[in-house]
Amino acid sequence: MSAMLLNKEKWSDFVGMLAGKNLWAPRESDEGLRFVPVAEGEVPTLDYNNTRVPPKEAVFPQTETLFKFKVGGKDLEEPRPDQDAVLLGVRPCDARAMHIIDELFSWDEDDPYYLKRREKTVLVGLACNEPGLNCFCTSVGGGPVSTEGLDLLMVDLGEKYLLEEVTEKGSALIDEVKELLEEADDNSSKQKDKLADEAAGKIKRSIETEGIPAGLPGLWEDELWQRVSASCIGCGTCTFLCPTCHCFDIQDETEGFEARRCRMWDSCMFREYTLHTSGHNPRPTRSERTRNRINHKYSYYVDKFEVIACVGCGRCINLCPVNIDILDILGQVKEEI
Amino acid sequence: MDLDKLRKTAAEVVAREDVRYLLGWKKGTFGYRIAPGFVEDAESAAELIFSPLCTANLATYLTLTEKPPLPRGQEPDDRKVAVMVKGCDSRAVTQLLIEKGIERESVVIIGCPCPGVVDHELLAEKYPETEETAELKWSDKGFLLLQNGEETEIARDELLAEKCRLCRYPNPVVSDIMVGEPVETWEPDDDQGVAEVEGKNAEVRWEYWQEQFSNCLRCYSCRNVCPLCYCEDCILDRLNPTWIYRSVNFSENTAFNLARAFHLAGRCIECGECERVCPANIPLGKLNRKLAREVREKYGFEPGVDPEAEPFQASYKPDDPEEFIL
Amino acid sequence: MINKENPYIPYNATVEDTWYETGGERAIKTFKVVFDDENIRKSWEHFPGQCAMIGVLGVGESMISISCSPTEGEFLRFSVMRMGKVTQALHQLEPGDKMTVRGPYGNKFPLDQWQGKHILTIGGGIGQAPMRPVVEYVKSNYDNYGGLTMIYGARTSGDLCFKEEFEEMSKDDQLSCHLTIDIEEEQWDHNVGFVPQILMDLNPSPENTIAVTCGPPIMIRFVLENLKKLGFEDDQIYTTLENRMKCGIGKCGRCNAGNMYVCKDGPVFSYAALKEVPEAFA
Ligand SMILES: Cc1cc2nc3c(=O)[nH]c(=O)nc-3n(C[C@H](O)[C@H](O)[C@H](O)COP(=O)(O)OP(=O)(O)OC[C@H]3O[C@@H](n4cnc5c(N)ncnc54)[C@H](O)[C@@H]3O)c2cc1C
Ligand code: SF4
Ligand code: SF4
Ligand code: SF4
Ligand code: SF4
Ligand code: SF4
Ligand code: FES
Repeated sequence: MSAMLLNKEKWSDFVGMLAGKNLWAPRESDEGLRFVPVAEGEVPTLDYNNTRVPPKEAVFPQTETLFKFKVGGKDLEEPRPDQDAVLLGVRPCDARAMHIIDELFSWDEDDPYYLKRREKTVLVGLACNEPGLNCFCTSVGGGPVSTEGLDLLMVDLGEKYLLEEVTEKGSALIDEVKELLEEADDNSSKQKDKLADEAAGKIKRSIETEGIPAGLPGLWEDELWQRVSASCIGCGTCTFLCPTCHCFDIQDETEGFEARRCRMWDSCMFREYTLHTSGHNPRPTRSERTRNRINHKYSYYVDKFEVIACVGCGRCINLCPVNIDILDILGQVKEEI
Repeated sequence: MDLDKLRKTAAEVVAREDVRYLLGWKKGTFGYRIAPGFVEDAESAAELIFSPLCTANLATYLTLTEKPPLPRGQEPDDRKVAVMVKGCDSRAVTQLLIEKGIERESVVIIGCPCPGVVDHELLAEKYPETEETAELKWSDKGFLLLQNGEETEIARDELLAEKCRLCRYPNPVVSDIMVGEPVETWEPDDDQGVAEVEGKNAEVRWEYWQEQFSNCLRCYSCRNVCPLCYCEDCILDRLNPTWIYRSVNFSENTAFNLARAFHLAGRCIECGECERVCPANIPLGKLNRKLAREVREKYGFEPGVDPEAEPFQASYKPDDPEEFIL
Repeated sequence: MINKENPYIPYNATVEDTWYETGGERAIKTFKVVFDDENIRKSWEHFPGQCAMIGVLGVGESMISISCSPTEGEFLRFSVMRMGKVTQALHQLEPGDKMTVRGPYGNKFPLDQWQGKHILTIGGGIGQAPMRPVVEYVKSNYDNYGGLTMIYGARTSGDLCFKEEFEEMSKDDQLSCHLTIDIEEEQWDHNVGFVPQILMDLNPSPENTIAVTCGPPIMIRFVLENLKKLGFEDDQIYTTLENRMKCGIGKCGRCNAGNMYVCKDGPVFSYAALKEVPEAFA
């Protein structure tokens, strides 16, 4: 696949040409940085770090209607998500996260809602020149220029963006804006490699994951779980905002005569997640729940899909209100193994 | 703050036979982070700190700690829990005592007079966090930042958390042991910090809250962290009947945010934790303080100040205004 | 069959018959239901051990064991204990009312592999629901199995499900049927005592036998202990797990016990397999 260059002077033209395609990009507001549909005439800038809510919400919305019906009726109306979308400025870790949960949503039975959106969405990535404080993508199989899950990768070369095609969806997008682009030369690919090396060097945090998936089951009864979860308030931030967390609840909701069955994000860090009506709870405390979160990401998912379900985006570390730090937990896991 | 004295006191407390553990603040894993610590021995007590970074209200753990079913034959551990409290945190403990959410004998309260803590987001914005754990101390001017071997003086006004600007009780209102001398109190600059929103007309206010509530992720972090949200059977979790749908949209979000605010009217002690933990940055403090002001002005009640007081929502006075009741 | 187009879309079905198995606050009601769509009726296949998500539109869905064997006819049976929101709504359904069904979900009791063996089912309370299809299946294929023993117990005689079938069962000389209740009652001429104890009294030989059990966790625990005492090997014992479920198709993440999705990898497990799952007995 080929690579092209986009002069930043043409950035607003570039955005303008994509504007008709349901373009999403990060925007800073009161709530923090988040992917939102780009308003008409708006020219998003990409000079920020990662968003607070991961872009998974574009393919796996926090609340999704599975079908609608009339109260008392039996005909189901299925909304099929069939709108195209282009996500601009997706970080490599978040794209990798989608790539990882593609497995879950397509194993055995297909999940039509997720897969349809995924198919209709073009992910335009942006390589990280300045990784964040708690990024550790390089420890879990990713990196600042990783292309897994992306359709197109942009690298900020200073005055220009390098655009690398990753998939056919990406090539098709390039074709549409070709008039704004120029062919990339050797020099730009060298520049990219240099930036990538530098960026990887700026990543401060890491964990040697070898041995963790195999070692975790042996630590089931370890008092480590009690220790690392003692201060957890069970708020679920580490899972709601994790790009690979995919758990959901299903509920029926009615408003007058209109009713819908919908699904919404859920979290294994919540007490209700496993609670039976009888009052019995197979995971009665936050220590079992924390153990599940870590095991799910670093062991169960590996058993099922042969990949760690953590892309090292650092969100859970940055956003946990009581400083429960997954790298600290994994460090302790390694010590106990 | 004399840390040696604090640690020595803590070590003595956890050495007591009737104390199970002590809740205190420790350095976090990087940058400006602070981790709540569950201290069980002198060694761990030596890691305790008290600094302008210690925003967390540890009183929340008094009611948050889960009691899993015990294996047969095992007795529950009924020993006391010791907790380090700032002024606002001590009001949470007091309010819990008023509501009989905890027993006075079940806690050892270690009061830490508090010159005011920082707004973490502001701090990280102005003085970027690094992977080294940094220290922040109170100084004459305000704060002294020790980061990567460098010292920076920072003016108090520059970083003081909003809740602290408005604080009227920086000295613990209840305690068994005090560490440090009481601090001099200060005048809150604007009453309850709600004037700004209040000054606008209803439509603008509505728009403002509409935007804020639309951002809510319904993670319920605000509820979980709140020392006074401790109902065992919270209406938010109840399915049968379902009071508030789990769908995340403006109307359900609003129902939730308002329900929570009302449940806390006359109970919220303004420790600011909900606002601090909210991943959507919703200014929950404004909402709570507005209600607190109404309760104070209309009913003359202030939560978490007098442990002997009647709980506000369960008390009735003949001269209570009723004009808002339909 | 699972809706390949969209597995979240349920099929409409009509309640053909319904009756109470037990009374009280946590009553158990059985529903005999038939799919509205003839094609679904014809193509639907299930096997003992599997369950289905049944529901009431506007209220929600619950995972419920299919308590009949496919050998019984072109209908489904569910026995539902009244617990919370959905099960309460289900209990209000009467003949002619609609419910929704999607599935079947989960793995199966490996009855094909058990051919030639003696089958011993041990059920307690509502736990007989997944046992019943096993019993029915073996009953309609006696020639293929080495025999059938059924132990079933509940707190009182009023708490036993499928009572109307006991009479006929007692006449079936190929079935060794042992009913029990916890406490003595007048006019009860079967066993009295807890299920695990009845199992010990019966003292079945592990020789060429497969034991299948389902019931309250505490019963299962003692049944497992006793089966071991009787000399059963781990791979001769099967049970089912009950975890909270939402999707039934290994997506929502909720039902996991260790690295297993109970809705896909279960609910049927051999004891040998369960021993490897740390959360199985939580
Ligand atoms: C594989 C399997 C087979 C089952 N077979 C039967 C059966 O044959 N008959 C029967 O009466 N019940 C059976 N159950 C239990 C049944 O699913 C729950 O009792 C039911 O979901 C409660 O729903 P509710 O809406 O009435 O309760 P609510 O409290 O209103 O709903 C809470 C939610 O909690 C979950 N839940 C609560 N309790 C349980 C539980 N014990 N097991 C699983 N999920 C639970 C469900 O996700 C439910 O949607 C089975 C469960 C599983 C997993
Ligand atoms: S973000 Fe932190 S406190 Fe909240 S659930 Fe996760 S680990 Fe617990
Ligand atoms: S577990 Fe934490 S670091 Fe890993 S992907 Fe999720 S939020 Fe990011
Ligand atoms: S089980 Fe927990 S950690 Fe795993 S995807 Fe679900 S919420 Fe995330
Ligand atoms: S609100 Fe008062 S007591 Fe609480 S941290 Fe601020 S100054 Fe200290
Ligand atoms: S913490 Fe914020 S986002 Fe979460 S539920 Fe509360 S208000 Fe909403
Ligand atoms: S019920 Fe959803 S994964 Fe099993």
